[in-house]
Amino acid sequence: MSPTPANTPSDLREHHATCMSDIATRQSKAGFAELFSYFAPRLKSYLMGLGCESGQAEEIMQEVMLVVWRKAGQYDSAQASVSTWIFRIARNRRIDAARKAKRPELSAEDPMLQPPDIEQPHDLLDRAQIDASVRQELLELPEEQIAMLKAAFYEGLSHTEIAERYDLPLGTVKSRIRLAFVRLRGRLEPE
Amino acid sequence: MNTVSTEDFSELYSAHAAGALDPAFCLMLETQATLRRDVAEIVTVSESIAGAMLESENIATLSAGAESRALQAIDALEEDVPVTIQAIRKASERLDELVRLPDPLRDFALESCVRGGWKKLTPGVTRLKLDADSSAEVELYRIEAGRRVPRHTHNGDEFTLVVSGGFSDGMGSYGPGTICYKTPHDTHQPVADDDGTCFALAISNGGLKFTGVLGLIQRALGQ
Repeated sequence: MSPTPANTPSDLREHHATCMSDIATRQSKAGFAELFSYFAPRLKSYLMGLGCESGQAEEIMQEVMLVVWRKAGQYDSAQASVSTWIFRIARNRRIDAARKAKRPELSAEDPMLQPPDIEQPHDLLDRAQIDASVRQELLELPEEQIAMLKAAFYEGLSHTEIAERYDLPLGTVKSRIRLAFVRLRGRLEPE
Repeated sequence: MNTVSTEDFSELYSAHAAGALDPAFCLMLETQATLRRDVAEIVTVSESIAGAMLESENIATLSAGAESRALQAIDALEEDVPVTIQAIRKASERLDELVRLPDPLRDFALESCVRGGWKKLTPGVTRLKLDADSSAEVELYRIEAGRRVPRHTHNGDEFTLVVSGGFSDGMGSYGPGTICYKTPHDTHQPVADDDGTCFALAISNGGLKFTGVLGLIQRALGQ
């Protein structure tokens, strides 16, 4: 059964993780209902923000929540918080829904194409720690950096599209995003 | 120093986190993240940003009975025998190797085995076409130690991520986690390293040119 929902954001995340394990270990419908009441309205709002009309948004939200139920056993709280995990499902559903994809434009200098400088020890990333630290840092970022991050990492706009939306020079958009990202990642660097 | 310098931070990662990246490149990036700690870290940070944004999302009003419909859908679920079981049976020949593939690739490879399986290209070189739901060609190459892929040019761009083992092509040597990028002007003849079988994930665009905005999919849902 589900304990009383918590007050602080981190209590709430812990509570959501408990609901997930209740679903995984004993098919807890109460746990599912808790997650549903928190995430369903947010997912619907997210989908409508992408341009879905209400009915379609709700249909996709239902599909996402059904996947949450079916795959609860794969959720690992050491890897991500529940919201990150659920968003990943919603985002993949979004990809599925898009039948026609554009091509990426990668230059030879794209970081994706660069070889590693040094032999990297293949030690495990503490993903839960990264997840928590990103959330903490987000609270302290200036409003305009948050807006850029949201447009890029959540809505999936390109830097050019963001520049148009906010009527900013492209360079400003790039540097704000870079600044914010460096900061979110910054404290994770040992050196 | 980090390799994927945040100085030249790419839109690829934000597009991936948001679900706006072409599926073929999602697969490549996710596979690369299993091989490279720096990439894994950037992907994790990016996804955490997106997850946090979902928490601060507005609260939409749901239609009446939305929650009971969800619960009914759960009740209606039957224990479905996953397709993967059939896949595992049919893929028996190279099952060990397939199972050792990085997570993001494994399911695609198993599914592909159900549909047709490996096609021989030349002695010691086989390839498996993956259905990544992309308009790009996505293939997994298996090159036995010391074997060469026939010399070829490309009609379009080709990106090849080394998944395990390694190869050289006269222009460079590539190991796990490294992406070899070739344009239509390049001709090359990859040769697998001597010390083991090389698996490589290749994305190519045939006659088309990889242009356009950064793999953003069309406003996925709104169209």
